[in-house]
Amino acid sequence: MGDSTEITPRELFERLVTRGETPPILDVRNEDEFAAWKIEGIRPLAHLNVPYFGFIDEPERSAEQVARAGDNWIAVCAKGDSSAFVAEILRERGMRAVNLVGGMEAWGNLHVPVRVDDGSRGFELWQIDRYGKGCLSYALLAGGQAIIVDASRHLEVYETFLRERRARVVQVLDTHVHADHLSGGAELARRAGAPFFVATGAGVDLRRAVRPLVDGTELTLGGGAGGAAVTVRVIATPGHTPGSMCYLVDGRWLLSGDTIFVSGIGRPDLGGQVEVWGRALFRTLHEGPLSALPDDVVVLPAHFASPTELDRRGVVERRLGDIRAASPELALPTEAAFVEAMRRAVKAPPDVYGKIIAANLSPADVPDEQASEWELGKNQCAASVPAAPRG
Amino acid sequence: MEKILDARGLKCPMPIAKAKKELESLGAQDVLKVLATDKGSVLDMQGWAKANKRINLIKQETETDESGREIYVHYLARLS
Repeated sequence: MGDSTEITPRELFERLVTRGETPPILDVRNEDEFAAWKIEGIRPLAHLNVPYFGFIDEPERSAEQVARAGDNWIAVCAKGDSSAFVAEILRERGMRAVNLVGGMEAWGNLHVPVRVDDGSRGFELWQIDRYGKGCLSYALLAGGQAIIVDASRHLEVYETFLRERRARVVQVLDTHVHADHLSGGAELARRAGAPFFVATGAGVDLRRAVRPLVDGTELTLGGGAGGAAVTVRVIATPGHTPGSMCYLVDGRWLLSGDTIFVSGIGRPDLGGQVEVWGRALFRTLHEGPLSALPDDVVVLPAHFASPTELDRRGVVERRLGDIRAASPELALPTEAAFVEAMRRAVKAPPDVYGKIIAANLSPADVPDEQASEWELGKNQCAASVPAAPRG
Repeated sequence: MEKILDARGLKCPMPIAKAKKELESLGAQDVLKVLATDKGSVLDMQGWAKANKRINLIKQETETDESGREIYVHYLARLS
């Protein structure tokens, strides 16, 4: 980067996550936007919030305020233009400052593929980390074929990734109808000529073409010309949504959607029926096929709430047994206690979630600008209850 | 007197940078009507008026122009 005046989202990701650095962040958005969503590293970051209009009114005073707090800044705003203006003001005064290209919007759209498996099984499992939003999607590759799970609307991410690996999509799966981001699954499948699957549950109308799958179905990928084959088992896990499904890869990795996270579980209130969906989630966690999976299964969720959930390799994963042992959500003894705890654990979801759900059920395209605006901010899909007192 | 500042199509920080300049040339009784297409201008104008004691944000409205574009309209005056 050297003397550069800019840093790309990918370069910032390398610094914050790959190298664990803690550069000071100068966020020049207004206070409300800053309070709602900010850049996070795997270690805590020092942020300074000085809105850009302060640099228009009183550039000297604002620059001095920044100088007193430190140097070597990464300047951030909503879309990258105001922060470029501020970084230049700082550099003119002898400070070091680089601008995050594209701002928080670009930060929220960065997708970074991270390999999950160790390469010994003849197939590849990748977690595609949309780090700024805390959204995770997956690519499973074997014998030139690919299954994509929970694709975002940024299809170029998946298509480039697959082209580089000479793989073609044969199946696209969503774990459920997402509320926090727009699904790219149906469109990715259409462009690849592959089937798409998501289940809504009874009483909700999905206006997109799907090839239905049911609990227990096994999909097989690869296996041609002596290559390794890998199976994916469909597991029905109603609760976060009535149609939620998990996908068990090779009997070992559970793509768990928003049913179980590394810490916390998927909130059952987004349909406005916390009682009914909460009871279904309790049964999924304690009685359904998910509850019969062995402790050695590794959970790969659709979200993380904090970058501390990334392990040393940068993967968000955890043994099911460890989650079972540590999660207060799974220790609640009765349906009634569980539903009550869920009710208390969740705040009202962002208003825009209703619009995103409707758009994900509909075949109509959402214009890019609208989609970007709806998707701003980190996901709020988890419910976490405080740990029970020990002893 | 009401003066119109057409900041449609401009990105941050331009709507506020231009509004500040215009307000300096207006009298205390005048109103500056700023037209912007950047939705971020709604919260930013509020934050600006809160931080700058010499700016009065009188009201904000949303309109739709001929092409169906959302226009964010801000009415500003000087306090001094």
